[in-house]
Amino acid sequence: MGPLSVNELISENTNLFLAFIIGIGFGFVLEQSGFSSSRKLAGVFYGYDTVVLKVFFTAAITAMLGLLFFSLFGWVDLNLVYVNPTYLTSAIIGGMIMGVGFIIGGYCPGTSFCGVSIGKIDAFVFIGGLFLGVLIFGLGYNIWDGMYLAKFLGSPKISTTLGLSDGVFAFLLIIIALVMFRVAEWAEKKFPREQY
Amino acid sequence: MKPLRLLALFIIPMGLIIAAVPQNKTKPYKLTADQLLGEANARTQYVAPEIVADMIVKKDPSFQLIDVRNQDEFEKFSLPGAINIPVSDLLSDKHTDILNQDIKMNIFYSNGTITANEAWMVTRQLSYKNNFVPEGGLNYWFDAILNPQKPASTSPDEEFAKYDFRLSAGKALGGGLTVQTNQNQSSASSKPALQSAPKKKKAAGGC
Repeated sequence: MGPLSVNELISENTNLFLAFIIGIGFGFVLEQSGFSSSRKLAGVFYGYDTVVLKVFFTAAITAMLGLLFFSLFGWVDLNLVYVNPTYLTSAIIGGMIMGVGFIIGGYCPGTSFCGVSIGKIDAFVFIGGLFLGVLIFGLGYNIWDGMYLAKFLGSPKISTTLGLSDGVFAFLLIIIALVMFRVAEWAEKKFPREQY
Repeated sequence: MKPLRLLALFIIPMGLIIAAVPQNKTKPYKLTADQLLGEANARTQYVAPEIVADMIVKKDPSFQLIDVRNQDEFEKFSLPGAINIPVSDLLSDKHTDILNQDIKMNIFYSNGTITANEAWMVTRQLSYKNNFVPEGGLNYWFDAILNPQKPASTSPDEEFAKYDFRLSAGKALGGGLTVQTNQNQSSASSKPALQSAPKKKKAAGGC
């Protein structure tokens, strides 16, 4: 609960409790939207079901517009919004590992727990792999800490890097998203599957 | 109407509006005396020495230690990886790039906290971000990290966890000799596995 916790309006424990409630809500919505099916999730890579792309991109755009308008009205101080710091090398390598894991396993970490909550065996296997990866990473930390911490860039924003205002970048992203949604609809028609 | 068209009809005008309006930059460039006093009272500049020790041991590239004492003192002793910017030289142009940036977390340290706080106040008045001061300065660093005292047996578990962390961090940073004299001397130079320090507040997310 960003501003409430950062400004210490609520305690750390209340923050965790709210996170728990919101987490349950998030998981419930994911499950009800069919995101606990690995075939549906993997569909985005094969083109037969692109609902994941649409849902997450729409969520990102909604949140982006919301934050920008809130900042415009002076309701939110964007300087207080935490931005994950960028370690470029590990972001690229981690992104590739995550992508490959997503295609092979058919889940991303959040949705795998949705799958587990309704007893999907493949989700249990996926989480087994997830913990194995965490264990290997932790035990071998001294081997790859140099690579893990390389190319630290702070918390840069793409808009600043491109020299655009946040608003113009947001508008460009909306256009890109709409084009992607159009391509996704085309892909669903081009590579249809009746049952999955 | 198709859902995609409906979505486009709604978000394209919103995007156009947000692209057209100027960004909200109503925050004052410099802090007023009131704001500075508020920050100083809230002790926002302080960072726990355990966090600093954790970052040094883990070779975290996201911070820069800045020794604000004079050059003689810096040459006699400094923390690993620290650079020397004496407080008298703070406003020199050659240091602006280091002090005024929003990438790395700068940590000013001095023997106590007075000189480091002077540096913090000056940079804060210039509205530079990312500058911090370790609690207690180097004096406390020696007591807390390099030679931690074992808590009383009746202390709560958190005190023992903190002590264990300080002990392992101190050993990794070349300290711990006074508490180790009756035990294994060679362990002071080897780097033991570090227990995790109390974490900074972070938000996490993702799918």
